[in-house]
Order: sequence, then structure tokens, then C-alpha cells
Amino acid sequence: MAVINVKQISKRYGTCVALDGVSLQVNPGEIYGLIGPDGAGKTTLFRILVTLLLPDEGLAEVDGLDTVRDYRKIRSRIGYMPGRFSLYQDLSVEENLDFFATMFGTSIAENYENIKEIYAQIEPFKDRKAGALSGGMKQKLALCCALVHRPSVLFLDEPTTGVDAISRKEFWNMLYRIRRSGVTILVSTPYMDEAALCDRISLIQKGRIIETGTPDEIVGRYPHQLFGVCGEPAYPLLKFLRTCPGVLRCFSFGSEHHVAAEPGVLTAGGLQAAVEEAGFRKVSVRDIRPNIEDCFMELAKENDYGQG
Amino acid sequence: MTLWYLLEKEFKQFFRDPGLPKMAIAFPVLMMLVFPFAVSMEIRNINLVVVDENRSEVSSELIHTCTASGYFNLVEVCSSPERAMDLMDRNRADAILTIGSDLDRKLGRGEDLPIGIKVNTINGTKGSIGAGYLTSSVRQFYARKNAGQGEGVASPSLDVSPKYYFNPFLDYMKFMVPALIVIAITMLTGFFPALNIVSEKERGTIEQINVTPVRRSAFVLCKMIPYWLVAFFVLSACLLIAWLVYGYSCAGSVCLMYLFTAFNIMVTAGMGLLISNYSDNAQQAMFITWFFMMVFMLVSGIFTPIASIPSWAKALTYLNPMRYYAEAMRAIYMKGSTFLDLWKDALGLLAIGSVMIAWAILSYRKTN
Repeated sequence: MAVINVKQISKRYGTCVALDGVSLQVNPGEIYGLIGPDGAGKTTLFRILVTLLLPDEGLAEVDGLDTVRDYRKIRSRIGYMPGRFSLYQDLSVEENLDFFATMFGTSIAENYENIKEIYAQIEPFKDRKAGALSGGMKQKLALCCALVHRPSVLFLDEPTTGVDAISRKEFWNMLYRIRRSGVTILVSTPYMDEAALCDRISLIQKGRIIETGTPDEIVGRYPHQLFGVCGEPAYPLLKFLRTCPGVLRCFSFGSEHHVAAEPGVLTAGGLQAAVEEAGFRKVSVRDIRPNIEDCFMELAKENDYGQG
Repeated sequence: MTLWYLLEKEFKQFFRDPGLPKMAIAFPVLMMLVFPFAVSMEIRNINLVVVDENRSEVSSELIHTCTASGYFNLVEVCSSPERAMDLMDRNRADAILTIGSDLDRKLGRGEDLPIGIKVNTINGTKGSIGAGYLTSSVRQFYARKNAGQGEGVASPSLDVSPKYYFNPFLDYMKFMVPALIVIAITMLTGFFPALNIVSEKERGTIEQINVTPVRRSAFVLCKMIPYWLVAFFVLSACLLIAWLVYGYSCAGSVCLMYLFTAFNIMVTAGMGLLISNYSDNAQQAMFITWFFMMVFMLVSGIFTPIASIPSWAKALTYLNPMRYYAEAMRAIYMKGSTFLDLWKDALGLLAIGSVMIAWAILSYRKTN
């Protein structure tokens, strides 16, 4: 039985459609990722699930409880960490934690085991005002505050946005430890590389879920053959590749261009020869495995055509 | 338990705020020490020109009586009314006292006195108060003259001598002390809760509270209680300053003043919370609160009597909580009114307060 069950949820802000018939199921004990660019509707879906927003249409259940009817019961069973740091900056670390524990009718001492591993890292600064903490420590404090009442479901809205690479890695390790204690986690992120760290993901764009599955499944469903092409000068190369026969799409990924082609139409060697012939320097072409971002770009394109 | 913690948090935040505690102290002190002088409506230094056509001992005694009152500056004693008008036109004279040539003859014969008063009413208050002072000086002079003539002389007109109850010397400062207390408390308790909730909105902390099982009535109540205490502190400070600096004390029960202050906070804090529910940021909340405070203050009877405003506006003042509060506070402080005299004001405050709080709680949505 799904811990989070979303059925055909829609939400409009005036004429702007934030969510358009979104459905998803999250199983107990999973880390479920909601992956999509800014403005895709991730935060709106989170706010509906944590009972801060009412959906226009559709049904959402958390832990078997309806988000509209049983909102009060849901609130004591979930932990929510909004995208923006929103603890009391003028209260100390310990006071914040104590305050939120009390608001949920519990205490730090009662649930110390639950947060120990994370709290231990910020405990040396427990008398410091929350506003004076570094980004990574703020994030840990917010996570502690969201966990202090032993929630069965944890909602993390873009927890790693604006956090450095090392802290992000650390944060994911913390999530794995939390999962081990049986907590189901729904996490949203605009970073495609974090998608691979989730058990299952949904790709969301313009208020619609465009793909759902494990990261491997989604990558496996990628329909094209993919090449990584390097060369100089880079931008004319991108334009040239898009005009090559057999090339479906071409996107720039850092220093490399990802070229999608119908399977079996092009080979790495053939492409290399064509690019060199056109006068580009330092050319290298290799076969690559698609990543989530390739899949997202592909699906986003399809979704756009579907709408247009 | 939850309530206690919410309160504890409010107090911690209040005292850690770099400005709020200082404001709560500085506001009443400044209000009480500076404003009674600044807003005083007592008029002194009225420039007086006398047209003396009598030029007798009697007329100079009259002039002396007027100048001795201390309210007038004798600019000039001239003999032609044209000269006096000219001075008024050039804004050198606020009032002209004309003494007819037969003053000394008519005095004591029971005839109307040939005395004329002209005032410059460009500044209406100065003009009417000046005319009042001048009239009373003449009356005083007349009374003395009559007394000097002994019994049996018919009084030419009815001798009106107003007796000012509860403030015999029309001491404007004493009149303003309770009014300033009303303003200080209403401002502080109106602005603080509104800004407090809006800042939780701006910082996003309200979202964190909203996902907890805390009841909204508890949350709203905890935003109100601290300002109750702030208001009591301000009231005590103001009363103390009034006593120490001006030597005024409350004619009635101080407890009653606290009671009405408590009622008033229900209204102002409720209104502040209500406004914060409908504003997204501090500027909006500030502006809306300021707008209502201004309107309330101007038609509260603090500066101008309610009796003198048009009847349609008078009807609206029944919706103005400050009207009840100001009326009650003044009556307690100056007359020593009891609760039985003021139950209507109490009812007015409680009625408006209950509506405000109920509306504030209902419109505070944890979900939208």
C-alpha cells in the first residue's frame, strides 16, 4: 500500500496552471524524487501534500489519510522542510529544536535517538542563533526540526538548492540513514544528477508528470543512440551537428555535446569523420549512456510537441 | 503546555529584537514628556491693539485688566479704528478692543457698555480663544467696578460665570494626559501584533508553524498576550510620569483604567492580527494599520469633541473603538467615573473586540 497516493491533482493560480492532473504513488520506505526545473509545480504539489494548500481537483492521501479531510492527523505524522530556510533566526539552535518538538507535543530527549546522528554535528553550536549558522548547518537544523517528532513521511522541498557539492553528498548520506529507520521520503530537486540517488523518480514539467520509474528504468527507456561530441569551436559545432543528417537532437552538456540519433543510423567513427571534414579542431566522438538529464530533455521535447 | 511554549517564544523574540523593547519604553516616555507641550491648545501672546476713544482713568483700568491676564501682548493703544484695522491687516494684531468715548459715563448707570471686540480668525482657535479671554477680562473688570459701586446698582446684564468642573483651570495638559495614554497604547498594540505576524509570513516561519498540529486559536492568542503586558507596562509608565512630572493623579480607580486598557487591546490586537491576515508584507500591514489609526484618532474625540462633527460622521464614530476607550479613560482620569457610568463604553469595546478577534481567528488560514 502506497504511503503517498496522489490521484489526478490539479491546481490553478488564476489562469496559470500549476498542476495538471498529477498522479503518483510512493511506497513505504522509499526515497522518491520529484525532478523538474523551477516552476514545474514541485512546490505546489508539496504544499498540497503537507496540507498547506487545497487542490482544485483530485485526491491526495498521505499515510492513508486524506489531505483535505484529515489534515489535522496528517500534520502530526509528517515532517516538512520547505525550500527556503524558515526557522526562527533569532532563536538559538537548541531553542528552535525544542520549540518544534513542543509544538508536536514531544521533546528533544524523547526523540534524541531519532535525530542523534544529524544533531550531533550541530550540537556544538547549540547556543548559536539559527540566523548565524552556515548554509549546511542551517540545512541540518531544519532537517532535525522536521524529524524531531518521529514523522513517518518526510517531505523535503529542494533541500539541496544552494548547498555546496560536499554538503549535498553528506545530505544524501543522511537521507539514506533516515530511510533505514523506515521513514518514507519525498524529495524534490532541480538537479538531474541527484535523480540517480533516489529509489524512484517522477520527472515533472509544466505541472505534468512526464515520466515515472526507477532511474535505471527511465534511462533504459531512452529511445535513441547517444554520442558525446567534443570539438572546437564549440558553438558552431553545436549548430553544425544539428544540421547533420541522421541527428535528431543535440544539446550542450558542459564541454561536451550530446547528440541523439535513431539507433543504427550513425556510428561514432562516421560522425567523427563528418565533423572533422567540416573543419572543426580537436574533435572526439564517443558512444555514451544516456543520463537522466538526456531523458528529461527528450521527454520535455515530446511533452511540448504533445501540447503544441 | 504548547501555549506556554508559544508564549515563551514570543517573549524571547520580543526581548531579543534590537528595537522593540526600546520602543516600548521610549514611546510612552516621549509621548508624555514632549506631547503635552506640543499639542497644547492654550493660547498665549495674543497681540492686542486697543482703540481708546475714552481716554479716561476707567478706560486705562480696563486696558490694565486685560493685559494683566497674561494672555495678551499690548501692541499699541491708538485713537482711530482705521489705524487698528491697518495693524490687523498687516497681521500685527490678533484682537482689537474698542472702548467707546462714553465708557466712564455709562459705567455704573446700568447701560450697555460701549466696548467692541474684533478678532483675527485666520487661526480660528487663536481667534475664538482670544475673544473668550478678552470677554472674560472685560467681564471681570465690570464685575469689579460694580462691586465698587456697592449694592443697589442694577446689573445691566446677566452675569455668566462658567465654572469648569473636573478641570477648574482648563488645564489643557491634564486634559491631554489620558488622551496621550490612549494614543500610545493604541498605536503600540495596533502595530506590533500586525507586524509580528507579517514578519513570520515574510520569513516563512508561519509555514513551519502551520504544518504543526498547533491550533490557530492558540497561535493567535499567543500573538496577543505579550502586547497585553506591553500595554500595561506603557499605561503604568505614563501614569507614573504624569504623577512625577506634572503632579497629576487619576481621579478615579486606576484598576478601572487597566480594565479598559485590557478591553482596548482586544480590539487593537485583534485588528492588528486581522490586518496581518490580509497583508503579504510589512509595508502593506503598516500602511493599512496607519490608515485606520489616523481615522480612529481624528474622530475619537481626543482632539475635537465628537459633538461638533456632522451627524452622519457621528453615527460612524460608534464603530470607532478609540472613541469608547478615550471617553472612558478621560472620564476615569478626570472625573473619577465608575464602571457603572461607563458600562456603555465597555460594551462598545467588548463588542468590537469580539468581532475583531473572531474574524481574525476565522480568517487566519493554515490552509489556503
